[in-house]
Amino acid sequence: MSFRVDFIEGSRIALRSLSAHRLRTVLTTVGVGIGVATLLAILGIIQGLNTSFEKQLETIGPSSLYVSKRPWVQMGNWWEFRNRKNITMEQVEAVRAQSTFAEAVAPWMSNEEDISFNGIDLSAVDITGTTPEYAQVGGYDVTQGRFLTGSDDDNLASVAVIGADVASTLFPHSSPLGARIRVNGRPFAVVGVLAAKGKVLDENQDLTVLIPLKTFRALHNGYRSHTIGVKVRSPELLDAAEDELVGILRRARQTPPSKPDDFAINRAEQLAGVYNQLTGALYGVAVAIGFITLLVGGIGIMNIMLVSVRERTREIGVRRALGAKKRTIVLQFILEAVVVSAVGGLLGTIVGLLGAKVVSWVTPLAATVKASTVFFGVGFAAAVGLVFGIWPAARAANLDPVEALRHE
Amino acid sequence: MLIQLTDIHRTYQVGQEKVHALQGVSIGIEKGEWVAIIGQSGSGKSTLMNVIGCLDTPTSGRYMLNGKDVSHMVDDELADIRNREIGFIFQNFQLLPRETALANVELPLVYRGVGAKERRAKAIEALKAVRLEERMSHKPNELSGGQRQRVAIARALAGEPSLLLADEPTGNLDSATGEEIVKLFETLHGQGHTLVLVTHEPKLAARCPRAVRLSDGHVVADGPGAQVARA
Repeated sequence: MSFRVDFIEGSRIALRSLSAHRLRTVLTTVGVGIGVATLLAILGIIQGLNTSFEKQLETIGPSSLYVSKRPWVQMGNWWEFRNRKNITMEQVEAVRAQSTFAEAVAPWMSNEEDISFNGIDLSAVDITGTTPEYAQVGGYDVTQGRFLTGSDDDNLASVAVIGADVASTLFPHSSPLGARIRVNGRPFAVVGVLAAKGKVLDENQDLTVLIPLKTFRALHNGYRSHTIGVKVRSPELLDAAEDELVGILRRARQTPPSKPDDFAINRAEQLAGVYNQLTGALYGVAVAIGFITLLVGGIGIMNIMLVSVRERTREIGVRRALGAKKRTIVLQFILEAVVVSAVGGLLGTIVGLLGAKVVSWVTPLAATVKASTVFFGVGFAAAVGLVFGIWPAARAANLDPVEALRHE
Repeated sequence: MLIQLTDIHRTYQVGQEKVHALQGVSIGIEKGEWVAIIGQSGSGKSTLMNVIGCLDTPTSGRYMLNGKDVSHMVDDELADIRNREIGFIFQNFQLLPRETALANVELPLVYRGVGAKERRAKAIEALKAVRLEERMSHKPNELSGGQRQRVAIARALAGEPSLLLADEPTGNLDSATGEEIVKLFETLHGQGHTLVLVTHEPKLAARCPRAVRLSDGHVVADGPGAQVARA
C-alpha cells in the first residue's frame, strides 16, 4: 500500500476521530493554541521593540560620526576619560579644514538646565550650544520659524530653537515664535521649533533647546569640551572617515605616537550594542517562557493521544488483522496529533497576533507582525504535534494484534 | 493443498513459566474444505487460529499457506498475507463502531490500495452476498447481532481471500440467528470457499464435513465432523 493511500486514509480516520471527541479535541487544541499564542505575542513584541529601536537609531544619523572626550559606551577607567584634554575649537577648525569625507561639521556643547515661560517650568532640559551645521549632522528639521544661523553665532544672539516637547509643554495654546523663554533665568527669543524625533534609549531628543555656540560658551566661561558632529557623505564611508578623523585629531591634539587615542569617535551603531546587552537576556527568558508554554501544550497532545490509543486498542487490532501495516497505524495517529496541533497553532497564531496588536495599541511599543510569522506559528505547532505524537503512535503500532483484538 | 501445517510448536513465556500452547500440530487443508477446529478452552485452538490467521507466528515448524512459507515472514509481509489471503470472522464481530456497514466492508480493500470506486463496487457485492445491501449505510449499533455478523462476513468476503477464518462465529448470537449464520456458511461452502471455523460447540462442529480436535496442544482426532464432535 502506497504512502499516498496511507495518508488519505490516515487523514480521514484522524478527522473522524477528532470530530467524535469534540470537547477533548477543543481542549487539546486550546492547550497548543495558548502555547503558540504566547510565543508569537512575545516574538511579535520583541520584533516590534527591535524595529522601533532601529528607527530610533536612524534619528541619531546613520551616517554621522561624533567625536568627544569620552565614548558613549564607557568601558575602563573613568578617571582616564575624565582627565583627557578638552576638545577645543582649534580642533574643530582642523577637522573642518582637513576632512575630505565630511559633508558637514558641527561643534557643540551641552548642559542640563531649567527653563521657564509664563510660569511654566521645565527642569533638566538639554541646552545645546551649536552652529547651523548641527541641523544637517543631527538630522533636525524645523517645523516653525528657522534654524540657528551663522550671524546668530557671530552676534552672540540670545535666540533659541526649541524641541517639539519643549514647545508643546511651554506653549500649549500659543505660537512659541517670538516668545521669550528663560534659560537659567536669562531670556532667549524663540526663533524656531524642531520636528519631533522621539527617544533613543530613554533619552528624549525632543526635550532640548538649541542656542548659538558662542552664546553658550559666553554663559559657561568656555572651558568645556566640545563634541564634534561630522556628517559623512555616505554611510559606506564611515570607516574611512573615522580613520581620517583619528589622524586629524591626533595631530591637532599632539597625541604622542606611543599613546592611544585620547578621544573617542562614536556612531549610532555603538548604541545597538548597548541595546542588545540590555535586552538580550530578557528576550531569551521571554522566548523560553513561550517555549515552555508550548511544551505544556505538547504534553497535553501526548496525553490525549495515549488516551486515544488506549480507547481504540480494539480498533487497532481490527485494522492490523485486516492488513494495516505498522507504519499505516503510526501515520494514522501522528496525523491525528498533527491535525489537532496545527489547528491549535492556527488559532494560537490568530490570538497571538491580535495580542501583539493590542499591546501595540495600549502601549507605545510597536508590535511588528510578518506574514512569515503565521507560517512559523502553524508549522511550529504541527511540529510539536509530530514530536509529541510519535511515541503514542509507536505504542499503537507496536500493539500485538492478538492482544489488541481481545482488549475490552 | 491450501494450508499445510507441519510440526507446529508455539511456546509462550508467561512470567517464569513456559506455556506450550501447540506441541507439534500437523494439519493439511485442501482448497474448498470446511473444517472445524474444536477443543476445550486451553486446548490450543485459539493459538492455532492465530497462527493460521497469520496474527501470530509459530515458535517452530513450517506453515505453508497457498504455496507460500509464512512461518518466518516479517510483520509487514504478514500484514499483506492477512490482507490478501485471509478473511477474519470474529465472535464479537469486531466492526468499527463509527463507520457504516459499507465502510467496514471496504476496509480490507482500503489496506490493499484498491481505488474508491472499485472498492465500493466490491463491498456492495459482498453485502449482497449476505443480503444486507439495503442496510449498507447503517452503523453497527443500528444493526441486530445477526446483521452485524453478516456485515463481518461480508467484510471477510470483500477481499476475495483464499481462506475464511471464523472464531466462534455464533458464540454471541441466539440459536435462531446462529442457525442463520451457519446456513450462510453452508452456502459459502457450496460456492467453493474454504472455511476454517474454531469453536467449542460440538453441535456446530458436527455440521462441518471435517473436524479436528485439539487437546493440550496436540491433534487428538481428525475426521468427519459428526464423528469427531461426538467423541
